[in-house]
Amino acid sequence: MILFIKLFRESAMFAWTSIAANKLRTLLTLLGITIGIFAIISVFSVVDTLERQIRGSIASLGENVIYIQKWPWEFSADFAWWRYMNRPTPRISELDDVMRRTQVVEAAAFIASTSRTIEYLNRSMERIPVLSVSHDYDKVRNFEIERGRYFSPTESTAGRNVAILGYEVAQNLFQQTDPLGKNIKAFGRNIEVIGVFSKEGDDTFGNSHDESIVVPVTFISSFIDVNSDRYNPAILAKGKEYYSSEEVIDELRGAMRAIRRIKPTVDDNFALNQSSLLSKQFDGVFAVLKLAGWIIGGFSILVGGFGIANIMFVSVKERTSIIGIQKALGAKNYFILLQFLAEAVILSLLGGAIGLLMVFGVSWLATYAMDIDFMLTTKNILMGINISVIIGLVAGFIPAWTASRLNPVDAIRSNG
Amino acid sequence: MIQVKELKKNFGDLEVLKGINTTFERGKTNLIIGQSGSGKTVFMKCLVGLLEPDQGGVHYDNLNFTRMKGLERNIIRQKMGMLFQGSALFDSLNVEENVMFPLEMFNKDMSRKEKLERAHFCLDRVNILDANHLFPAEISGGMKKRVAIARAIANSPDYLFCDEPNSGLDPTTAIVIDQLISEITKEFQMTTVINTHDMNSVMEIGDHVVFLYKGNLCWEGSSEEILTTGNKQVEDFVYASELMRKLK
Ligand SMILES: Nc1ncnc2c1ncn2[C@@H]1O[C@H](COP(=O)(O)OP(=O)(O)OP(=O)(O)O)[C@@H](O)[C@H]1O
Ligand SMILES: [Mg+2]
Repeated sequence: MILFIKLFRESAMFAWTSIAANKLRTLLTLLGITIGIFAIISVFSVVDTLERQIRGSIASLGENVIYIQKWPWEFSADFAWWRYMNRPTPRISELDDVMRRTQVVEAAAFIASTSRTIEYLNRSMERIPVLSVSHDYDKVRNFEIERGRYFSPTESTAGRNVAILGYEVAQNLFQQTDPLGKNIKAFGRNIEVIGVFSKEGDDTFGNSHDESIVVPVTFISSFIDVNSDRYNPAILAKGKEYYSSEEVIDELRGAMRAIRRIKPTVDDNFALNQSSLLSKQFDGVFAVLKLAGWIIGGFSILVGGFGIANIMFVSVKERTSIIGIQKALGAKNYFILLQFLAEAVILSLLGGAIGLLMVFGVSWLATYAMDIDFMLTTKNILMGINISVIIGLVAGFIPAWTASRLNPVDAIRSNG
Repeated sequence: MIQVKELKKNFGDLEVLKGINTTFERGKTNLIIGQSGSGKTVFMKCLVGLLEPDQGGVHYDNLNFTRMKGLERNIIRQKMGMLFQGSALFDSLNVEENVMFPLEMFNKDMSRKEKLERAHFCLDRVNILDANHLFPAEISGGMKKRVAIARAIANSPDYLFCDEPNSGLDPTTAIVIDQLISEITKEFQMTTVINTHDMNSVMEIGDHVVFLYKGNLCWEGSSEEILTTGNKQVEDFVYASELMRKLK
């Protein structure tokens, strides 16, 4: 074993000398590997980054939360939109029915959204989403309140003019001052600020509270028809722990059909949307992206592999007499084989490492210049290294094999 | 001792060696001379097993090397040291690593330290120990030759083969190298076979001289005898140079 390591060290040394002697030629040939590794690893890094963000967003939507809505989230290819047009929207009055008719639903909330200009003193913000929610909203959606508090039961039932502001809204309207207890203006009314959400950051589905405000639906419904399709009403139902989303959906389907008195032969006139299903849709997109990365990178790597094989054949030819002398001095075939394989692997790793460095550079740029949290994971680095090593082994094998089989007679050019 | 028996080698229709018989003794420098194309290289390649003879064989201390299979041959090959034309050092290894190379390849049960000691011993023997960390590119042709000799004797060979050992060296250095080979041959009691064109070498160190002519062993004897032999072909070869003619 120790001998093997020593031999390997010597092989690597022989390899290094020949690489160092032909720097430019080597680098040009390695470009294929470099570009290939760059393509594959950068695509994988992008996909990983997106996936991570989406997973995070889904978690904030609440696990095991079903959205009862008019429109489905997933559109199949033969989606007949006109059939959905005439569906009724979920109504606030259906909320209690849903709770009454189900056992596995832990909490449910009605939500309708619109957008309005929000004013405070002389400052204003346009097109701010206003979420009108029923009291149990805090039980179906995960969030934290940084300052102030959530709606009290009386505020929710009486439809008091109170609001909880998103982090960015509070920052913009109030800046240094404390928003709690102040009145903002929207819908031509004064609304008292009773809380501010913690900063949530960007969200893939635009579900962050940061740039919106939340008010009791009972307040809004006194002057707006929250059941109107315009406000995209939905009932959010959170399943009890230990119940699968399938069970929750089954029960909700039954409950909704009963509430709406749908005959057994008639299709549902509501959609049961699920946040985790959304990620399944993305899985497909990611698979395509990754495949594209493999194909583009694969072609470059193929070219690079041939380049390495070419370098290796030249290298074997250049060192024919050295190989002969090594053999005459007792070197075994496997030593010659290893020596050239090591050279091929080193070459390929060199190309791959440059590619990885490029990915690293791009991810650094993306993180610092564009504020995208783009990550080169250890897993992807290892994958890049593995691919390089495998390419080196594959591309180097035939040249190395040829070298190891050289007959010392041909190999030694002696004319004594 | 190496015995050559009825050694024949053809390349197609070309008969290069036509049945050579001779014996190379232990502790002696055996020189093979002859005109260009007389088959010296082919002869030496047959001796070390780089070429397979068509007929006859080579016996190393009464073991028929030509008949042996791979593994057996390896045992004999471990006892051969080879000095290649033009030194043929590994450029990427320094002097002492070059000398250690055959030890790494053959001597699996020697420790690193022992190998280093052996390499230093050989380098010291050829008076070049102080250059042990230099690379081939940094030393002169004569020094390279010394390193090559040290490498050839690293495995304490019983048989030493030298392919034109002083080609490309100036006459003075050539004599020094010849002397060195002759000395270590006596000192380590090796059977040394040298391929050469150089009449100086013949006169200096030729214990036993084999003259090849058109694929035949035309004459053999000692360096003293070569000047006075009546053999026409030998005389033509020996007195080809102006200097030798004057000496006569
Ligand atoms: N592998 C081979 N295939 C065919 N012919 C060969 C081969 N090797 C040598 N020969 C022929 O054998 C003959 C003897 O060649 P060899 O190299 O032994 O001569 P030499 O005595 O070493 O000459 P020089 O002093 O010039 O080196 C030559 O005619 C050469 O062409
Ligand atoms: Mg020759």
